[in-house]
Amino acid sequence: MAILIDESTRILVQGITGKEGSRAAKVMLEYGSNVVAGVTPGKGGWSIEGIPVYNSVKEALTKHPEINATIIIVPPAFAKSAALEAIEAAIPLINILTEGMPVQDSAHIVHEAAKHRVHIVGPSSIGILSPGKCRLGVIGGEQEIIERIYTPGSIGVISKSGGMTNETAWVVRQAGLGHSTVVGIGGDIICGTTFTDLLERFERDPQTKGVVMFGELGGTYEDQVAHMLKKKKFTKPLAVFIAGRFAESMPHGIAFGHAGAIIEGSRGLPSSKIHALAEAGALVAGRHDELGELIKGAINGTVEN
Amino acid sequence: MRLYEFEGKGLLLKYGIATPRSQLYSSDEPIPYEPVVVKAQTLSGGRGKEGLIAVTSRESAQQAAEELLKRTHHFEYIDRVLLEEKIEVKHEFYVAITYDTDTRSAVVAICLHGGVDINAHADAVKRFPVYPTDNEIAEIVRKAGFRDHHAEWESFLRSAINCFFSEDCTLLEINPVARTHDGKLIALDAMIELEDEASFRHQARKYPARQAGFGRAPTEREERVKEINAQDFRGTIKYLELDGDIGFLAAGGGGSITCMDALTSVHGRPSNFTEFSGNPSDEKVYELTKVILSKPKLCGLWIVGAIANFTVMDTTMSGVIRALGETKPAYPIVVRRSGPHEKEGIALLQKAKEELGLDMIIYGAEMPMTKSAIIIKQKADDYRRQHGHTN
Repeated sequence: MAILIDESTRILVQGITGKEGSRAAKVMLEYGSNVVAGVTPGKGGWSIEGIPVYNSVKEALTKHPEINATIIIVPPAFAKSAALEAIEAAIPLINILTEGMPVQDSAHIVHEAAKHRVHIVGPSSIGILSPGKCRLGVIGGEQEIIERIYTPGSIGVISKSGGMTNETAWVVRQAGLGHSTVVGIGGDIICGTTFTDLLERFERDPQTKGVVMFGELGGTYEDQVAHMLKKKKFTKPLAVFIAGRFAESMPHGIAFGHAGAIIEGSRGLPSSKIHALAEAGALVAGRHDELGELIKGAINGTVEN
Repeated sequence: MRLYEFEGKGLLLKYGIATPRSQLYSSDEPIPYEPVVVKAQTLSGGRGKEGLIAVTSRESAQQAAEELLKRTHHFEYIDRVLLEEKIEVKHEFYVAITYDTDTRSAVVAICLHGGVDINAHADAVKRFPVYPTDNEIAEIVRKAGFRDHHAEWESFLRSAINCFFSEDCTLLEINPVARTHDGKLIALDAMIELEDEASFRHQARKYPARQAGFGRAPTEREERVKEINAQDFRGTIKYLELDGDIGFLAAGGGGSITCMDALTSVHGRPSNFTEFSGNPSDEKVYELTKVILSKPKLCGLWIVGAIANFTVMDTTMSGVIRALGETKPAYPIVVRRSGPHEKEGIALLQKAKEELGLDMIIYGAEMPMTKSAIIIKQKADDYRRQHGHTN
């Protein structure tokens, strides 16, 4: 088992003829993922890395009805219409890698996806990986990197930061553990999938023995996790790092790194997130590299959770 | 982009929200109102409590305006003053629209008690999700608890919501909304933030560049990095000057804040915050490194980043190495970088270390990123002690 993706995932790439899109198709194929079709309006009939390209999602689905996941990797101005096309076609998993999507567009598609009961991960997601089974998106990068960092195992990983996804999975690996599924949820204000959405799935996944998450300053997605723990909706060990404590001594209102990482008033302070999570029973790492040993200790039963 | 009050009110007016008659102050034009509200134009709030808004007679207005132009507010220079007619207010309300991570939608926040003391009424603020279309405005007005003038409130909220979405705002705050004795609703202030990412939908907009919002005037080095960033579209670099003595060169949004946390948690004091991302050119990284190294009395340099997906290590390190070659720092340097071509990148750094005689420790993935914070902190402490620098 794993969550979201596995050997049965059949992938569509929206934006496959672009530089980023074709690179994503290439690295997914290298990993052995089943990429079956691509879409770029006006470029139907092309072939990228041996993958047939269609003009629309509908056309791709007619030819390849087995498609059950799509990645969207198009310029920000086109991300909304690409996502709406995928939502209307009822593709159950839509992973948006596009960065810089206007928040109004993200809010709109997240609302539409909920109505149509499909699942969006992103925007600004680096991708999803179930090691040894399937890679969606560019998570893990070049083959030499993905092979070095990721290995099948028992730890779920969730990260708001694409750049910190490798590093977070790596400290888990250095502690001698592997990964069930690794998900980059993106650091935007509006996330299609939040920490709690994934923790629900990890709770039900027998392969997952514990979860490690990378959170940040800004917003309330981390606070929602504390609430979930208190209600005992997630009962496996959870190790957390919340980035951005240093920003509390900085003038407020400056966005550090990601669009959602703005402290406004007392909302979104890392210290209050850390406090809420620790109080709810999560293991909170003071320094990022401590995450590995924390989760290892917890699943071995040597640390009280 | 944050708008000044006068710009924000211009937008509100376009969407049918009433604002007081007003004009920007100019020393050679007559004062149009009696009495007149003289308001400093600033990007940060809290003007009322700082004495940056004055109600004066026509005769005293010029002097009041000239006084304001000499002031600063949270290190912003005041270069514009708005003159406004004085409105007789019966009651003040608070209305704001922004995005909310709990509902994962835009929300309108309404409080029946607005004005300068809104924070004292924070518990009385009610929030309602809103969407570009299909809002149940009458329902919101009823639930917000407005006692009368429901039709006016419906129209006011409809206009505000329309403005928020049509203009791609991330914040539209009107505090206060004044109700006059004859039942009219008037926006007495406007705090509007437009989303830069949506600017492709608003090509015709022409707002002049804003002052930097660091809570102080930007430093020369910060200005320099802004220039470097603007000259070359490849990749983004950010630089914020701090008062410590450990130079900080970090890659990636999440990675750079994680490393800042690690360094400050072991009581290392960074001389700057930096982030570079989106695969910047060697030239850009070279220029950025030079700015970081130009800070006097540095006791260490930390070059750090998370394991990269695609950024090839040997090419990105070449800009850094060039800048080190020109400056040849005597203080210790700790490098932790990893990614494609890691071996080649480390070999390049090793070569530079030997040729330039640098006191440099080079790590790849075997050293966890944030653990290297401890090493640079210790090395910088030793150097500071040996050279008699004060921390």
